[in-house]
Amino acid sequence: MTPLEFLSIAAAVFAILMCGTGLLRFNLFLYSLQTFSIALATIAQSQQAKEPELYFVAIAIIVVKALAVPYFLSWISNRIDARSDPGILIPIPITMHAAIVLLGISYPLAKSLPHILWLSDSTVGATVAISLLFTGTLFMLTRRNALSQIIGFLTLENGIYLVAVTCTRGMPFIFEMGSLLDVLVAVMIAGLFVFRIKKSFEHIDVTQLDGLKES
Amino acid sequence: MNDLIMALIAPALIIFACLIARSISILTKLATGLILCHLLVMIKILMPLAIGNTTFLTLLPGFAIDRMSALFLLLTALIASASFAHAQVFFKQEETSGHGLQTAYVRQYYILATLFVVAMMAVYASDNLGFLWISIEATTLLSAGLVYFHRTKNALEATWKYFIICSVGIAFALLGTIFIFASSQHDQQIGSLSCFELVKLAPNLDLGSFKIGFIFCFLGYGTKAGIFPLHSWLPDAHSEAPAPASALLSGSLLNCALFAIWRIYQIAQATGRCQFIQDVTIWAGAVTVVAAALFLVRQYGIKRLWAYSSIENVGLMLVAIGLNSPFLFFLQAINHSLAKVSLFLISGNIIQSTGTKYLKDIRGVFRFAPVWGIVLALSALAVAGVPPFGSFVSEWMILTENFNLKYIIPAILIIFGLTLTFIAVCLHIGPLLLGTPKSTSKIFRPIASSVVPVTLLIGSLILGLTVGYEGLIKVVR
Repeated sequence: MTPLEFLSIAAAVFAILMCGTGLLRFNLFLYSLQTFSIALATIAQSQQAKEPELYFVAIAIIVVKALAVPYFLSWISNRIDARSDPGILIPIPITMHAAIVLLGISYPLAKSLPHILWLSDSTVGATVAISLLFTGTLFMLTRRNALSQIIGFLTLENGIYLVAVTCTRGMPFIFEMGSLLDVLVAVMIAGLFVFRIKKSFEHIDVTQLDGLKES
Repeated sequence: MNDLIMALIAPALIIFACLIARSISILTKLATGLILCHLLVMIKILMPLAIGNTTFLTLLPGFAIDRMSALFLLLTALIASASFAHAQVFFKQEETSGHGLQTAYVRQYYILATLFVVAMMAVYASDNLGFLWISIEATTLLSAGLVYFHRTKNALEATWKYFIICSVGIAFALLGTIFIFASSQHDQQIGSLSCFELVKLAPNLDLGSFKIGFIFCFLGYGTKAGIFPLHSWLPDAHSEAPAPASALLSGSLLNCALFAIWRIYQIAQATGRCQFIQDVTIWAGAVTVVAAALFLVRQYGIKRLWAYSSIENVGLMLVAIGLNSPFLFFLQAINHSLAKVSLFLISGNIIQSTGTKYLKDIRGVFRFAPVWGIVLALSALAVAGVPPFGSFVSEWMILTENFNLKYIIPAILIIFGLTLTFIAVCLHIGPLLLGTPKSTSKIFRPIASSVVPVTLLIGSLILGLTVGYEGLIKVVR
């Protein structure tokens, strides 16, 4: 097993564990670990592919997505006193099992990706990337808390980033940085709106935001 | 480079004015003046491109303007001027009617609106799919604050939905962009994100990854454009935003998202092996038209009505893109933008004066505000595609082109959708215009509040008469 494979599988495992708990701080901690593994996987990739600028991307990811964003979100969850998410649709333990099944489904999907995968071990990376896309979406669908929605979105974004790392030979550096900045700003704005929702509605349960329903 | 600086001076000055202006009235007047200057500057820079004297203008690495982007940039500048000019009346009325308008909110509104316009211009000016994606994401981030302007619970709900749904949608567009980039790295090539280079490289692209990329981009940017069934955020956001912001969202943001789809569609066409993509685009457009028309039948809010009508027009523009006709795409876009912005602005006036946005509570607009009533009726007809307004011509041409290319069933769907829309709009607007008004409804500043809508309506009429006349001659020949 190469370091890239090991680290990306670690990211998938952290994402699945994240689906298995309703405690927001624990979710954030696991999200942070997941992002950290992805950043390290980027470094592993940069050594293999000899693309030194990926180092900077990895460092930026660690600083922004693995440290600053989880810290900011846990600060918000403390401020508005939102500690856990009861979940919706299906119970939390079953969500975790569903995420495991989705990881399994990701493997044939990654295999069938039409692009000529240019490194021998990128199937595993692509599998994890697709599974992160699924897990993020699943997380967003099965949680009711506005903060959980943001965490799910960030997981999805991690999956997209991992697709870029494993399926292409180096996305343009400026583009990576631009998208990272966009994510950071989006999280900041979403955080502000969570504050507002708490203030106006006295809860942050997005399933109860239905004042504009038709008829 | 000089052109770029010239184009950014006015927006920069507006933001500066927002920071220093003391009162709302000074701020709105300054902003209006500056945005009109901006429109003139844009006309001066872009006119040679728009009429085809120059073919290409490079601004920065990754940013370039061709004829199509020049036309859309001009349209955006026009819509921005209309929205800003009307915002002056809107905020004045908001202030006098005692809704507790805070200067800070207006200041924030103008800063965000200006940056939003700049982001939309960046969408049209980017030649690079990566920058295109970043600009579209920036438009979401900046316009969320505009939707939240009223600070009510409903506004907050609409903003949250808009923000989350569009962010996730745009994230999928990023995935699509990555796949398109991967498809250009086929056969050990370096790969590229530049639209113009990708069009040149098109025959060498790896078709499998390109198709996946196109589908993800289509879904992603389609969420932002409000393609059925990804439209759920659109009526909420458009109806909860203040009228000038709704006008911006509907009149130019939807065009932005469709322009992104058009860019990628150009690459798909250049590969020469993408019948599948053409089918998907045309069918998605036709289904969107029908779905929006069905939703239009049962609506309770005046601005929601126009929001659904926007979705319908998005469907039509998508069909125009699918027919591979940039001309029709632009024609439908400009006709829709002119009429729809006029509608949103005049509806904003009516909502302000009656204090309600529910269709059932507004009655007798002709009685208490004849000017607004006439403008509203004419704009609604223009949007519904009644001759001699511009939309009729473009819709007619889209339909004939559909029949030419043997897309019979989509064409029939579109005809059904357009008919239903016309009936639904007439049924909703009739009682609103006629009847006895409530005693509290009163017209305010009849001339100032109708200048912008009337100007836009005349524009739509001129387009209908000139382009329609040419089209007629073509048909006769």
